[in-house]
Amino acid sequence: METTMAPTRIDRGSTDTTTIYSEGGDLVFERTFDAPRERVWEAMTDPELVPRWWGQHGTTTTVVEMDVRPGGTWRYVSSAPDREDVAFFGEYLEVTPPTGFKWTFMFDVDGAGPQGGPETFILEEVGGRTKVTSIGHMGSPEILEGALATGMVGGAIETWDRLEALLAEG
Amino acid sequence: MEADRLSVTFAALADPTRRAILARLAHGEATVNELAAPFDMSLPGISKHLKVLHRAGLIEQGRQAQWRPCRLQPKPLRGVADWVGQYRRHWEESFERLDSYLRELQDSKEQINGDDDGTDANRPR
Repeated sequence: METTMAPTRIDRGSTDTTTIYSEGGDLVFERTFDAPRERVWEAMTDPELVPRWWGQHGTTTTVVEMDVRPGGTWRYVSSAPDREDVAFFGEYLEVTPPTGFKWTFMFDVDGAGPQGGPETFILEEVGGRTKVTSIGHMGSPEILEGALATGMVGGAIETWDRLEALLAEG
Repeated sequence: MEADRLSVTFAALADPTRRAILARLAHGEATVNELAAPFDMSLPGISKHLKVLHRAGLIEQGRQAQWRPCRLQPKPLRGVADWVGQYRRHWEESFERLDSYLRELQDSKEQINGDDDGTDANRPR
């Protein structure tokens, strides 16, 4: 590697419940759930349970395919009343119940083809509760920084939205 | 090639000067001279940044030779903002839903255990 410096951890708008930060080219979410690790593992890997929680508010998730083993593929379709269906898909790279798994997390972006990258989930027991860490490997810090600049810092997405609307007015 | 468009946009955005240029252009079109003014930078330096932004499809420049105002093209930004915004919101909200789902499970389990105890208590021993 070019550098021996440890990547800096930068907070990216943590909330009361969820810690969000970037570290190098990784985007990390941490949240502790008040449930035993086996149960959290089940919720994340059982196709019957995934639709119960996966996706943004107001969306419905259909598990099309979910083969939880290394090399197995997965495909979820997310539906919402105000938009077309979006498919998320990828491949399981590592599966180590109940301590975690790694998969690729992909989805199609208009005109840009499939986008995304590998994502790691770590499930740790913390005094009867379970700390889940998800690490999205976005690529380089530059890419992450560029992405954060548009969407992550200070409601920048809304800014861009407003900007776009403003420009659309001509 | 198409799949790499987003990478080109990301790379273009990964520079504070270029983001400042875009922010300036959000207020309306501007000439290269006007864009260079707030920065301690030579015109060729600014031109280099504009070239990167142009290649990423983030700006377009007028045709007239003398007066070539730059204009913002928000479409690629939309893709990037959507991507990161979706990603972040997705996990934030999924974790929230997972939390309430696990709590629900916990509650129903306690209820079932409670019923079992009740049944046992009614059973003659």
